Amino acid sequence: MGVNYQPVLWNKNKKKYDKWIAISMFIYLISFIGITFFTNSQTSIETLVIRSFGTLALALLHIILVIGPLTRLNTRLLPLLYNRRHLGVSMFIAALVHGGFSIFQFHSLGNVNPIYALFTSNMEYDSLANFPFQVLGFLALIILFLMAATSHDFWLKNLSPKVWKRLHMMVYIAYALILLHVFLGAFQQQPSISSISILIIGFFIIATLHIITAIKESRIDKKKTSIIEEGWEYVCDLQEIPNDRAKIFVVSKERIAVFKYNNKLSAISNVCKHQGGPLGEGKVVDGCVTCPWHGYQYLPHNGQSPPPFTEKIATYRLKKIDNQIFVLPEALAEGTEVEPVTF
Amino acid sequence: MEIVIDVILSVLGLYFGIGLLFGIYFFFKGAFKLDELIIESKWTVRLLLVPGAIGLWPILLLKIINKLRT
Ligand code: HEM
Ligand code: FES
Repeated sequence: MGVNYQPVLWNKNKKKYDKWIAISMFIYLISFIGITFFTNSQTSIETLVIRSFGTLALALLHIILVIGPLTRLNTRLLPLLYNRRHLGVSMFIAALVHGGFSIFQFHSLGNVNPIYALFTSNMEYDSLANFPFQVLGFLALIILFLMAATSHDFWLKNLSPKVWKRLHMMVYIAYALILLHVFLGAFQQQPSISSISILIIGFFIIATLHIITAIKESRIDKKKTSIIEEGWEYVCDLQEIPNDRAKIFVVSKERIAVFKYNNKLSAISNVCKHQGGPLGEGKVVDGCVTCPWHGYQYLPHNGQSPPPFTEKIATYRLKKIDNQIFVLPEALAEGTEVEPVTF
Repeated sequence: MEIVIDVILSVLGLYFGIGLLFGIYFFFKGAFKLDELIIESKWTVRLLLVPGAIGLWPILLLKIINKLRT
């Protein structure tokens, strides 16, 4: 939402989160290296770097993948979502150190190109137990690179949200490749029950959370509004919406958010122009509907971002009979002013 | 198998090689053609965009060509 781009969108809170990410990553690496050093002092520095950064990247990936569903289940966790992008870039850097060090350690000694060596030093592509698992890590790293490289808002706008979203959905392909990379790799090195059980538990947590959220979302979509005369649809009673908040409904297959603020009611599209964030899960702050994902703002009575910003979303007509709120399902053109219902 | 690997790696190398050249063009010129907001933004923003330009050059090249045509 802007008139120019900043290299990194930092504010006080984001700086705080980033500091915590950096401190946690540092503590993790130090503890990993410390513990391994005491329990297995034979381990070389290179192996320590490879293992500590590899497992760090894996842990960060798990956190990233559960943040999405968790914030949809509990809105108090939303601040985590604001910082997911920086977490993603941090994960890529950790994975890059791990992969880079592995290539340097195992594949750069001969006189062939190290990447070529990575693909050809073990040719047992037809074996499951001896499969060259490093290749899977390499492919995952390329996906993570593309995602980290396109995390700036510039890409969201210029690739179009659809292409961008598709690209970033590839994180699930990367996750699958990494699971195989670690499974096959662990079996070829020293199979350790603990790391494999952590992987399996992690997978079940991620899968379960995604399934629960999908079920919850489909319930909202099914929550039909009942139809009354002249095309107006009943959505809910006045007291069902908390002050400065909204309720989300589906009318004509579109999600809308009905906001209650200053003894007024307004209805707008639920979809944020930025990355499609759920506006109806946000609050009215200083008179503006504020997207819960990254804070884009819209005026509730006309769906326009306050100047100098230019984003516009569709608005809807409302009416109130006694305590019941009704909506006209046809979306008005984006940015159309609608007189709010007062009460 | 080695032939398959040869082909895959050559294509990958070529792709990122062209990407590198495109990345340089993108930093100095292409970014401005694609998005006017870049004009008001610092050069560090463009630097940050270069890795993405290297990785996704075919999409960006098409977008820039389409923009120049209209
Ligand atoms: C070019 C890419 C990559 C290469 C060459 C590579 C190479 C390796 C190697 C050689 C090992 C075995 C290390 C050992 O046990 O001594 C390993 C293990 C591992 N890799 Fe990768 N890897 C790559 C990418 C990735 C990525 C993208 C991730 C995850 C985000 C990842 C996560 C892991 C994990 C969690 C382990 C297990 C560490 C352990 O055994 O304690 N790797 N990798
Ligand atoms: S989706 Fe990013 S601010 Fe709404």
